[in-house]
Formats: sequence, C-alpha cells, structure tokens
Amino acid sequence: MTDTILALQDVHKSFGEAKIIQNANLDVHRGERHAIIGPNGAGKSTLFHLCSGQFAPTSGKIVLNGKNIAGLKPAEVNRLGLARSFQITNIFPGVTVLENLRLAVMRKHNLQFVFWRSAARLKKVNQEVDDLLTKIRLTERAHSLASEMSYSEQRSLEIGMTLASDPQVILLDEPMAGMSQEETDYTSGLIREITDGRTLLIVEHDMSVVFSLAHRISVLVYGEIIATGTPEESAPMPA
Amino acid sequence: MKIGTLAILTIGVALLLALPWLVSDSMLNAAVQMLIAALFAMAFGLLCGRAGMLSFGHAAYFGVGAFAAVHAMNAFNGEGLLPTPLLPLVGAGTGMISGLIAGYFSTKRTGVYFAMITLALAELLHALAPHLKAVFGGEAGISSFRMPAWGFTFGSLSEVYYLTLIWTLGCILLLYLFSKTPLGRLALGLRENAHRMRFLGYNTHALGTLIFAVSAMFAGIAGALQSLNLEAANYVVLESHISTAVVLNSFIGGVRVFFGPAIGGALMTFFGYITSDLTRVWLLYQGIIFVLVMMFMPRGIVGEVIERFRHSSLRGLAQTAGTMALRVASLAIAAFGGVFMIEFIQRFLSSDYRATAGNGNWPDIALFSYVWSPVSVLPWAFGIGLFAIGIALTMIVNRRAAAAQEASA
Repeated sequence: MTDTILALQDVHKSFGEAKIIQNANLDVHRGERHAIIGPNGAGKSTLFHLCSGQFAPTSGKIVLNGKNIAGLKPAEVNRLGLARSFQITNIFPGVTVLENLRLAVMRKHNLQFVFWRSAARLKKVNQEVDDLLTKIRLTERAHSLASEMSYSEQRSLEIGMTLASDPQVILLDEPMAGMSQEETDYTSGLIREITDGRTLLIVEHDMSVVFSLAHRISVLVYGEIIATGTPEESAPMPA
Repeated sequence: MKIGTLAILTIGVALLLALPWLVSDSMLNAAVQMLIAALFAMAFGLLCGRAGMLSFGHAAYFGVGAFAAVHAMNAFNGEGLLPTPLLPLVGAGTGMISGLIAGYFSTKRTGVYFAMITLALAELLHALAPHLKAVFGGEAGISSFRMPAWGFTFGSLSEVYYLTLIWTLGCILLLYLFSKTPLGRLALGLRENAHRMRFLGYNTHALGTLIFAVSAMFAGIAGALQSLNLEAANYVVLESHISTAVVLNSFIGGVRVFFGPAIGGALMTFFGYITSDLTRVWLLYQGIIFVLVMMFMPRGIVGEVIERFRHSSLRGLAQTAGTMALRVASLAIAAFGGVFMIEFIQRFLSSDYRATAGNGNWPDIALFSYVWSPVSVLPWAFGIGLFAIGIALTMIVNRRAAAAQEASA
C-alpha cells in the first residue's frame, strides 16, 4: 500500500487575492479509499476541480500515475484514467437515463467520431449500460427522462456516469448529499463495490459514511491539509 | 405507434411521388421550393435542435452550395464527371468545407456568442459578395442551364421536381440514420451538457465542429438544388433574411422533433407562396404566426401533435379531436376578424389611398368583394367584433375542456 497513484505536491490555487488552496500535499495510495473532510469553504471542491482539470493550479504539481497532469484539460485527464462526479448534479437532463449512460460509456470504446454504425447495435456498449443500470438500481427507469427522476436517483445516475469510463481513480464530490438513510446505506455499499480494484477520493459530510468507508482520511482546513491518518487515528480529532 | 408512423410516412412519400399528376404546374413549382426549404430546415435542425447550437448565419452555407453548383454547371456542362443529377454533390462538398472552417471558429464559443459568430461570418460573406464579381456575379448574379443527362432532358418541371424530391428524401433519410450513430447521439450530449461531456473525456470542440460541418453540408445540398431549379444564383441567397427564415421555419415546425423543421419549412414556404399573391403584408402574417406558435405551442407544430398523441388514450383522443375542432372553428372566426382589420388598415394607410383622400374626403375601400367607408363605424365594428367573438368563443371552449379534464381526473 505504498504505491502512490495520485499525488499533490505543494499545490497552490489563488483566485486573484483569494488563496483557496495553500501548500497542499497529499499522497493517495493505489487501491485505497481516501476521504477528505473539513469545514465548509475549506477548498474541498476546488481541490477536486484541480485534480480533474477544471482549473489549473497556480503552482505545484499534480501527479497521476507518475505523470504531471496539472493544467491538462478535463477530457485529457479523463482519458488518463481519472473520472469525477459533481456536487451539483451534472447529467444530461433532456434525454433518457439509458442515453445518459450510453453517452458516458461510448467514450471508452473510442466511439467519438463514428457516423457509420448504429449506436443502438453496439453490443459491448449496450451490455455495459445494462450492467451499470443494474448496479445503480435504475433498470426500471431506463427510459425515463433524466430530468424527471427524483434527486437521489439523479445522484445515482451521476455515480453511474462517473464509473462508465472504467477509471482507475474516482473522485466523488458529496455523493450522498440529500439522500435518505436507506439510500445512503445502499450508495455506501455501491461505492464499496464499485471501487474494488480502483482508487477512490471522496468528499463527504456524513461522518458515519466516511469512517465506515475510508481507509485513510485527510483533513482540509483553510486550503491546507493539516492531517492525514486512518479512521482510528482521526476519530478523536475535532474535525 | 411505430406502425402508425411508418404508415404516415408511406402515404406521404406516395403522395409526393404522385404529385405531378395531382397538381398544376404552378403548384408543382411551389412544391419544388417547399422541398428545398424542408431540406434546408432539416440541416439547420440537426445543428440547432439536436446539438443545441443556434446558428443565425445558415444562409452562408446554403449560398456557398448554390454558387458552387452554378459554377459547376457552367464548368462541366452537365457532362463527364458531374452530370446534372449529381450536381448537388458539389453543394455537399463545398458546404462541408465551409462548415468545417466556420464551425472551427464558431464552436469555440457557445450560446449567444456562438450565434453572434455565425451571424458575423454570414454577414461578412454577404458584404464581400458584391465585390467579388468573378465568383458571385455582382448584382446580376450567375446564370446557367440544366443540361440533359442519363437520358433525361431536365427541361420539364416534373423532371426537376423528381430530381429535387429524390435528393431531399435521400438526405432526410441520411439525416435520420446519422441521428442514430454514435456521433449523432453525442450531438444530444453537446446540447444537454457540454461541460459534463468534457469530464467524460470527449473533445467537445471537435465534436461541435464536425456536427456543424455535417449541417452545413446538407444546407449546401439544398442550395445546390435551388440553383438547379432556378438555373441561376444571385448573392441575395446570402442575405440575412434567408438565415432568419430557416430559424423561424424550424421553430414553427418544431426544432427538437425530427420531422419538425421539414414540415415547418414546407408549410411556411407554401404559406408565402399563396399569401404573397394575395396581400402585400404577408410577411406580417408570417411574423404573427411565429409569435403565436412560440407563445402557445413552444414545441412547434409537429412537436405539439406528437405530444398530444403520446399522452392520451383513444377515447381521450376522440375528446381532444372534438375540442380541437371547436377551438379551430373559433380561432378561424378570430383570424378572419384580425385579417379583415389588418387588410383594411393596410389599405387605409397605403400611399395609393392617401393620394385620393384628403380635405375631409374619404373614399370607400374595397375589401372582400364589398366596399366599406372608413368614416363609418361598420367596417371597424365588423373586424374588431369578429375578432373579439372568436377570442371569446376560444376561451369558452378552453374553459369547458379544462373543466371536463378536471371532472375526469
């Protein structure tokens, strides 16, 4: 467990005068589930934006699989094996759930500029879409418009789309926000299942989820990572 | 429902094939223009309806195809590599290339900024065209002749009609198949959420450019068909009202449903063809139709029809049909009153009338085979009265329908 898959090295991010991330250093080990906790406004989402290519860091390195990805575009980062979900649901609202997942899956099979095959007859894609639908418990809603689903169903879809590219590293930004206890339990189990063999970096406010799910926890306060440790080490800390 | 759609399509195509035996030559001429407008609107619909990119400059690609075709007609004389029936391929090629170039720049932005870039590029071409006489032929434009090929003379209107029909139907079929391919599906992703597409690993700029180019290609084919039909091209095809018309037509038909733009383009071309002979203010009516459709049927005509069929049982449909008939009848009364008022005022304000009127002398105005005095209360009461009665009847019908729906729910 000492193999580092994602590393932040002296990462800074400022927006004008405001320093959002300061001197962040973080090693995420291959295969671990790593949670980031911290108060509102600590910069957790900004940290995700930096890792996924939404923003370029002002200074510092972000290393994925030995390659510096700081400043790469989101699509390039995704193709290097890192996929993310969003805190605010970010799906394709005007098309069906099935279409949402198909759009997400096709990229992996390099079906971007293909205009001589029927999308409905892509066997591998269809199979994977079906599997994803089963996993996120949305098989029965496959033909509903994504915009017409409940909030928690949309959150599940969000996770399904993040999974679609079969990424090595998954970033989940508050996946349980707004879910009921039953849904949270299910999603927690789902995350455990889908991250088997992958690396997870998760931001979550529900501490019971964090402590049951994460191998290690990092605490982010005012843009700085002040501590990293196992749940046992972190528990007594006032987070 | 699938069988229903197929049946409607078959009947439609059969009617189109039989059209030369069914209508007069002047109607057939209108039909050729309707087909071209339908194809042009379908090309626009791919870009705007499916990929969510509202172009305000699609006349540019239509025009490029039109001029390329007219030059090719003159260069090849309808022989050799490019016989007359294959000339639209030139429109396709040039439309695609110009679409790739324009699309590369315009799809770097989205929304309003995208629309502004397409508008600017089209206006640039339109402003440049009169100065490039060798390419665009100046004020007079460039003319040519359809040459015989493959045993057809292409001298008769029905041959031109069939040529246009085959190309239009073929292109619409291709557009349909395109919508089913991975690239065609990804167009939906661009429309719905380009931001998420990037995080899924897609190159949204390249996707946007390609879809823009495909749309421009079909617009170019429509332009080439127009050149074949008119045996000429003039730089007025680059004017902004051509770009505007395709936007309005597509939205009236329903830009998000597959056949919507085609129906809108054909209907509004037919409407223009009929009304431009009858009244000077036909553009005003076109504008009123657009505003009314957008206010009361924002999905467009085809979109609204599909929606009604989708959400209703057979018994409900019969009920809806009854309500619809009443609604149409009351609206017709209102429309007649409205048209009467518009025509009366138009005649009253026209310069012809002003020349004869004055000094307290107000001659009668002839309208709908009667003469009306503008100083009498009669024509005003007649027009406004009918309009008001029609609107009141519509409101009663609507209220009853709503009450019936509530009672059944």
